Amino acid sequence: MQLNHAQRELTVKIVYYGPGLSGKTTNLQMVHQRTSPEVRGRLLTVETHDDRTLFFDLLPVFFSTANGFKVKVKLFTVPGQVIHNATRRIVLQGADAVAFIADSRRAAAAENNAYWKNLVENMKENNLDPAQVPVVIQYNKRDLPDTKTDAEIEETRKKGKEPVVGAIAIRGIGVLETLYAVLQSAFRSLEARAGLTKNIGLGEREFLTQVFANIDVTGTELERILPPRTPGARP
Amino acid sequence: MSQRESVLQRRVTLGAMLDTESFTEVVRGFVELYRVGIKVFDDKGAKLADIKIGNGDFCGYVFSFPEGRRRCTATVGRVKDGPLALSHGARLPVLEPDLVPQARGMLTVPCFTGLRYLIVPIAWEGDQIGRVVFGPFMPEDLKDFAPKTLTEIAEGFDVGNAKTLVGKVRRAPEGTIARVMLHFGQLLQTMLFGGQKMYLTSQLHIEATLDNNRELEERNKRLEDANTRLKELDRLKSAFLATVSHELRTPLTSIIGYSEMLAEGLAGPLNGEQVDYVRTIMEKGETLLKLISSILDISQIEAGKVRLNFEPMDAVELINGSLSSLRPQVQKKGVALEAKLPAKMAMVSGDRDRLRQVIVNLLTNAVKFTPKGGRVAVTLTDVQQQPDLNAPGYRILVEDSGVGIPADQFDKIFNSFYQVDSSSTREYGGAGLGLAIVKSFVEGHGGVVRVASEMGHGSRFTLVLPVTPSTQQHILITPPVTSVSPADDRF
Ligand SMILES: Nc1nc2c(ncn2[C@@H]2O[C@H](COP(=O)(O)OP(=O)(O)OP(=O)(O)O)[C@@H](O)[C@H]2O)c(=O)[nH]1
Ligand SMILES: Nc1ncnc2c1ncn2[C@@H]1O[C@H](COP(=O)(O)OP(=O)(O)O)[C@@H](O)[C@H]1O
Ligand SMILES: [Mg+2]
Ligand SMILES: [Mg+2]
Repeated sequence: MQLNHAQRELTVKIVYYGPGLSGKTTNLQMVHQRTSPEVRGRLLTVETHDDRTLFFDLLPVFFSTANGFKVKVKLFTVPGQVIHNATRRIVLQGADAVAFIADSRRAAAAENNAYWKNLVENMKENNLDPAQVPVVIQYNKRDLPDTKTDAEIEETRKKGKEPVVGAIAIRGIGVLETLYAVLQSAFRSLEARAGLTKNIGLGEREFLTQVFANIDVTGTELERILPPRTPGARP
Repeated sequence: MSQRESVLQRRVTLGAMLDTESFTEVVRGFVELYRVGIKVFDDKGAKLADIKIGNGDFCGYVFSFPEGRRRCTATVGRVKDGPLALSHGARLPVLEPDLVPQARGMLTVPCFTGLRYLIVPIAWEGDQIGRVVFGPFMPEDLKDFAPKTLTEIAEGFDVGNAKTLVGKVRRAPEGTIARVMLHFGQLLQTMLFGGQKMYLTSQLHIEATLDNNRELEERNKRLEDANTRLKELDRLKSAFLATVSHELRTPLTSIIGYSEMLAEGLAGPLNGEQVDYVRTIMEKGETLLKLISSILDISQIEAGKVRLNFEPMDAVELINGSLSSLRPQVQKKGVALEAKLPAKMAMVSGDRDRLRQVIVNLLTNAVKFTPKGGRVAVTLTDVQQQPDLNAPGYRILVEDSGVGIPADQFDKIFNSFYQVDSSSTREYGGAGLGLAIVKSFVEGHGGVVRVASEMGHGSRFTLVLPVTPSTQQHILITPPVTSVSPADDRF
């Protein structure tokens, strides 16, 4: 988090982490598609010719609070290929929360575990305390054969404290739910550390409502959680 | 450990996103096509591009009058550094209705000469990171040039000349200039996006390369260190084997040799000489026993099999007991032995036998490494708060006036089998186990051992022991754990 009182500006950094080809870039593309252009920048992607992330993807989303505080949420993805570990570590610097995009196929478990350990190591290298930086796990590609069943996912969920979201990112399913969960975790952790409500008058509800005010949540679980919106209108 | 702050963590400036040279080319192309000057500033007022057209002669003429210069400077200041708001003379541009929504943020700033400027902020991710200034241009709606605000600047102002010169300035409605400006704005956004991408990726490429190098260097360093340690261990082990075989073989040979002499009746009935032989046998036998028990101790410790038995004990009695077992050696060597004990001391808790062994080991070293006529002293302090332990405790100091220990060996002497002088010709006996045992037992009590020494002047070993050993009744001393078990699988 970067909090600049002089410029009345708060920057929150979210990093999409996970093995190669698990769907990190796809997640960001879906968020980009669903967000109206006035509140986001262009989706910056740097890919190789075969669509593998080379350095990172970046999607900035911004809004102003009722108090006139500028809030920028920067969504990053890391490159998943093994050789890009140094880049992964650099992109992870200063992350406020992590969305761990796992491939939910049974055969991918070993790969997921390896990247989970890699995440912990790189957090430590960056002086981030793995116990302090919240992580949300997305089980992506649930449309594919060999995907873990709900019961199996429930079983692995119990191994840790991280919230778990099922997804088919390629169809936009679970993408916004993951974003919501990771932003909520990030906010709670920042609130505990920096007292955002007290210091800049920004509460969890306003934060989440404002971010999603210009994101089309039609057909997602979030329709039930967020206040109904008038299309195109600012809150 | 962690790298320096990445470019991703920093605010990217307009200047970093734009390649000055090609940007200037683009601006020049625009200026020549539309015949309006363009200036681009970042949010600190730094100029990124400034291409003029048509107004040079006219403005030069106005500028040649002191009052013209003053007014001109004020206008330029307003345009460059003034607020991007409807104040300080700025107003909304006159536009066709279809342009109004797109032209949000655009301002008109009139010049006292009757010419005009249009300003538009450069928006990037919700921030204003700079501004574009178009102009000056001659507004279509200006009917009678020159206005009074211009003619009044000087008595001798030549309106005719001014009219001729201003003819070279582009004449257009505000709306037309605004359209060009919007077009330029779109192009600028594209250039910024491409520039940002280039900038971030090239920087990140450098960062990642540096970080990879750093990691490789660290890994090499670790390998080198491990290698040096292994070599050192190897050397110690060989030295140990040589020492042990020497130390074991010599007394055994003696025992056998003297026993043989006795058995063969070479000495006959026990006379004075025979008494000496028997004493020698006893002494060597004891040496062997001690050495073997040290080796046993250390291998027990290293196998993690030693349990300490804590019970209430009297530290003064402990010291006195240790001293009395040292007396014969001290007398033989001819060094002075001194004890400074508190008159009365509280009961403490500890493993009496092991601590006795600790003190005997330290005193044995002190006597061994102190030449004849030297001095050995042991001091016991009463119980008080010990900052080293963050708990109440007591200290035992063993000092000597002997040969001393080089400072760079202070750590090493506590390693098993380490001796400052491990050459086969060394003058002092021993296997290099005494201090390793001392350290293990003291740390098993939750205490610390420290050494201070000056070469040629003597050494001081200090034990700091807690009144109550930090852990429960029985403590298992285990060798340090070096490998960390990997985290459990999450998936
Ligand atoms: N069937 C299926 N395919 C998916 C899903 N999500 C992503 N994919 C596909 O998986 C492939 C990899 O997706 P990306 O989003 O590029 O993966 P990534 O994690 O960014 O990969 P790297 O950049 O190499 O780390 C693409 O072909 C996607 O279309 C999903 O939910 N189901
Ligand atoms: N009081 C002392 N004065 C000088 N050197 C000492 C003293 N105590 C220990 N040392 C050095 O530390 C080494 C290791 O000591 P120790 O473990 O007791 O083994 P040992 O006495 O059997 O050689 C000794 O060989 C000696 O070089
Ligand atoms: Mg990717
Ligand atoms: Mg010794």
